[in-house]
Amino acid sequence: MRVALSSLWQYRARNFFSITIICLSFLILGVFFSLSNNLQHIARQLSENMVVAFFLDPAAPDREVREVENRIRASASVVRLNLVSREEALERFRKNFPELEEILKNLNANPFPASVEATLKKDAFMSEATLAWIAEIKGLPGVQDVQFNRDWVEKMQSLSRLARAVGFFLGGILILASFFIISNVIRLNVFSRKGEIEILRLVGATNTFIRLPFLVEGISLGILGSGLSLALLYLLVRLFPLYLGQSLGALQEMIAFRYLSLPQSLSLVAGSAVMGMLGSLSSLARFLKI
Amino acid sequence: MIELYHIWKQYQEGQWALSDVSLTVGDGDFWFITGPSGSGKSTLLKIIFREILPTRGQIVIDGVNILKLADHRIYRLRRTMGIVFQDFRLLFHRKVFDNVAISLYVGGLPLKEIRRRVFNALRLVNLHNRMWDYPSHLSYGEQQRVAIARAVVNEPQILLADEPTGNLDPELAFEIISVFKEINRRGTTVIICSHDKELIRHFGDKILFLFKGKIIGKEVLPSSRKSATL
Repeated sequence: MRVALSSLWQYRARNFFSITIICLSFLILGVFFSLSNNLQHIARQLSENMVVAFFLDPAAPDREVREVENRIRASASVVRLNLVSREEALERFRKNFPELEEILKNLNANPFPASVEATLKKDAFMSEATLAWIAEIKGLPGVQDVQFNRDWVEKMQSLSRLARAVGFFLGGILILASFFIISNVIRLNVFSRKGEIEILRLVGATNTFIRLPFLVEGISLGILGSGLSLALLYLLVRLFPLYLGQSLGALQEMIAFRYLSLPQSLSLVAGSAVMGMLGSLSSLARFLKI
Repeated sequence: MIELYHIWKQYQEGQWALSDVSLTVGDGDFWFITGPSGSGKSTLLKIIFREILPTRGQIVIDGVNILKLADHRIYRLRRTMGIVFQDFRLLFHRKVFDNVAISLYVGGLPLKEIRRRVFNALRLVNLHNRMWDYPSHLSYGEQQRVAIARAVVNEPQILLADEPTGNLDPELAFEIISVFKEINRRGTTVIICSHDKELIRHFGDKILFLFKGKIIGKEVLPSSRKSATL
């Protein structure tokens, strides 16, 4: 351990270069992982507050409206039901879009239909059965249209998967590059300590004894690099919302700027340690035939 | 005891570095191997140390045929030997203490024991007061004595030296061989390769003459000479 640490310090310039490359590689992987986490989080939030709005035909008789309401209420997937009258819909619009008040005045009549808003259970939302149920309700007399943001959830989930895949791809390429860099740095260190290795062989050191400091070095480079990348990522996640300030508006609540989970952070560190070890081993196998 | 049986070594086709060398070195012997450059002295030491393998022949050390040792067992053989080179092979970025202790670090001894042994080895070569200096602050003769301390700190049964006085002036060379003599007096078998006739004449008990890889003579002086030279 002492030998490995002294070597890390002795060849600090090349080791710093190596740590920087590892750090950047894992930072890219971490950024995409974090992005994926955030998108997943948004998708989860969207599906948690999933509301399906059934717009009613203004000309529909009360009997049909009650029938629609009863059918929706009867579903086990519905946790809350809210009837929105035409007047309430108009009021909501006025509140949300005050700048469009003039348009409403010109219309002379209330253009908004009444609706039934059904809040669905979290698990039920993405199921095919729910989709079929929505289609069934939509087909009832008195229902004019239906609106729900399943598409958004699916988009968020797809984006999350994409972010993760891009992270794996870019991070994978860079991690492979880091592997070769570690391998070459260790090879240089082996060359630099050729005399010492020669003496160790002469005094009867075992292969393991000679190789161990180099393995520790490789693992340390990996851990230091990934540790630094996690610290940088943490700063990014914390500072990015400050940089964006109020420009996010309503999105501020939705985007939580989540950091990596503990298992993800540990996996990155463990992965980098394994990468460092393999980089050292590959170098030692080729250049340290004892 | 080291027994060499019909050792042949060929590095290149048609060129024999050693040709049919047989030798028996008894426990506690003090041997000089001499001959001009290219006569095969260093090759013979490397074969005894199992650094290289002979093309033909057998070597038995204390009843064990070392050519049949598995690669992962060679380190055990090497821990029973010490070796000293003409170019000292010291680590100049490490202190004298670490240079000597390196032989003990590999054995995993406790630090207290390492300190004791390093101090004793350095006292043997009269350098115990320079333990915390860097080798670059020492003279050539002192550097070679550090190399000797490193070779003997592990209390080896056999001490091999390849031209240990090659870079030293006659006075220092005399001093260094005296150290080897002292180590031999304590029971360690010593084999020194040298072409320094003056040294061999003065210190040699048992001398092997090599020329172009062949033994051209052996000289074994009466044992009384050993004490006379001390």
